[in-house]
Amino acid sequence: MIQLTNVTYSYPRAETPALHDLSLQIPAGQFCAVIGANGAGKSTLCATLAGFVPHFYRGKLSGTAKVAGIDIAGSSLAELAGTVGLVFSNPFNQITGARFTVREEVAFGLENMGVPPAEMAPRIDEMLRFARLSEQADQSPYALSGGQQQRLAIASVLVMRPKVLVLDEPTSQLDPIGSREVFSVLRDLAATDEATVFLAEQKLEWVAAFADRVLVLHQGRLVADGPPAEILASPTLSQYGLEPTRYTQAARAALGAGFRPQHPDLPVTLEQAVEFFR
Amino acid sequence: MSSTPFSLYIPRDSGMHRLHPLTKLALVGFALILGLFLPGDWLTYLAFVLVILPLAAWAGILPRFLPAVLKTALPIVVSLFLVQGLFWPGGTPIFHLGPLSLKQEGVTFAIRSAGRFIMVISSFLLLTFTTRPDGLMLALSRHGVPNSIAYVMLATLQIVPRFQAKANTILDAQRSRGLETEGNLFIRLRALFPLIQPLLLGSIVDIEERAIALEVRAFGRAGPKTSLLMLHDTPAQRVVRWLLLLASLAIIGWRVYLGLAA
Repeated sequence: MIQLTNVTYSYPRAETPALHDLSLQIPAGQFCAVIGANGAGKSTLCATLAGFVPHFYRGKLSGTAKVAGIDIAGSSLAELAGTVGLVFSNPFNQITGARFTVREEVAFGLENMGVPPAEMAPRIDEMLRFARLSEQADQSPYALSGGQQQRLAIASVLVMRPKVLVLDEPTSQLDPIGSREVFSVLRDLAATDEATVFLAEQKLEWVAAFADRVLVLHQGRLVADGPPAEILASPTLSQYGLEPTRYTQAARAALGAGFRPQHPDLPVTLEQAVEFFR
Repeated sequence: MSSTPFSLYIPRDSGMHRLHPLTKLALVGFALILGLFLPGDWLTYLAFVLVILPLAAWAGILPRFLPAVLKTALPIVVSLFLVQGLFWPGGTPIFHLGPLSLKQEGVTFAIRSAGRFIMVISSFLLLTFTTRPDGLMLALSRHGVPNSIAYVMLATLQIVPRFQAKANTILDAQRSRGLETEGNLFIRLRALFPLIQPLLLGSIVDIEERAIALEVRAFGRAGPKTSLLMLHDTPAQRVVRWLLLLASLAIIGWRVYLGLAA
C-alpha cells in the first residue's frame, strides 16, 4: 500500500536532507508507527506520504514514493486527497472554518469530492458514531474540546474513505484525557484490520499497545524496523533520543535489582508487564 | 464561546429566513439602491419604514434588529449632525449657541446622509441576521463565484475572534513578563509593537496548516461539488429576483437621468 524506494528529500534552502535514502514497504491493513526524536524526520515522512512533500513544501525529492499505486511526485494534491488522509497535531487549524456544525464539518470533504447528499448522510452518521461525536453533531466545531476537535479531524478525513490514513503526532497538543480519547478511536481503527494507518508518535506506551509494526527514524534515516515488542524493548532506543516505556524501564530496574522473571522478554505494554512481574 | 461564534445570524423559522439566499440578497440590494439613489431628503426614511422594517418584522427579529441598527448608526448620525450642522461653511444660521451656530444647509445635508447611512447599515444587518453565511456563499458559488473566494469570505468571519483570542494570549504572556500594556495612549501604543511580530508569525503558521487541512479535504479538487446544506428555490423567487434587479436598475437609471437633466 505504501512503497518508498531510496527516498531522499531536502527542504528548500536546507543543507542536509530531512529524509535520507529511505526504503520501506507497508502492506494494506497494517498499523505502522514511526517513532524518533524531534527533528528525526517523522513529520517530513508523514508529509511525503500525503504528498505535501514535495507539492506543498517544494524542495528536492529523489527516489520513488508510491501510495496505493499512485506515484506521489507525479500526481497532485487534489488527486491524492481522498486517497491519503492526513491528520496533524493542531486540532484547531484542521477545522475548515467554513462550516457551522460538526456534521457539516465532516461533510466538507465529501462535498468537495462531489458525493451525492443522499449518500453523505449515512456515511457522516456512521463516522460520527465511530469518533464518538454523535451527541455533538449539531454543535459548532469551535465549541468542542481539543480531544473532540482532534476526533473530528480524524472523522472528517476517514469519512472520505482514504486508502491510507497518516497521523502526525495527533495528540501532542492535547491534555491526557483528550489524548486517551483520540487513542481509543485509533485503537478501534487498528482493530478493524481494513485501514492502513501510518502514525508518527512520541508516546511509546500507546504505540506499543496497538501498532503492528514500529519504525525508528534518526536524523532522517530509517534505523530500526520491526514488531513493537522487539523495537521498543531494544537497548539501542536511547541512542536515538528515545525513552523506553515505563514498563520496560521498570522491568530493567527490577532485573538490575536481581529480579528473576519466568519470561525473560522485556515488557512494552501494561499486559506484558503484568506477565513479567507475575 | 457561543454555538455560532462567527456569525450574526439569528435562527428563526420565518418566511424571510426560508427564502433562497439570493432572493434575500436581491431584496437587501434593492433596499440599498433605494437608500443610495432615492432623491430628496426624506424618501430614504420612508424606504426604511416601508421596506426594511416590514422585512425585519416578517423575519421575527425586530426586537434585536432595531437596537442593533440604533447602536450602529447612532454615533455616526449624531456626529453627522454636529459636524455638518455646526461647521457647514457659510450657510444660513438657524440659531446661535455661543460662538457656534447651527446651519440650515448643514442640517439638511446631515438628514440626507444619515438616511442613506441608516439604509446601508440596516440592509446589511437585515441580511446577516436572517441569512446563514454558508448558505449565501453556497448560493454565490453555484452562480459563478469561485469557491476559494467564497471560502475566504466565510473563514474571515471567524478568523477575527480567533485573532483576538491569540492577541490576548500573547499580551497576557508579555504582561506576565513585565511588559506595561495599560496606562496612557503612549504606553498602550508602545505595547503594540512586541505584539505584532508573534501575532503575525503565529498567524502565518496557522494559515499554512489551514491550507494543508483544506487540501486534505479535497478543497482543490476540480469537478462538481455537492452540498449537505439544501437551498430551496422556487420559480416565483426567481421571478422576484429578476424584478428586483430590474427595479434597482430602473431607479439608478432614473437618478442618472435626473442628474443629467439637472
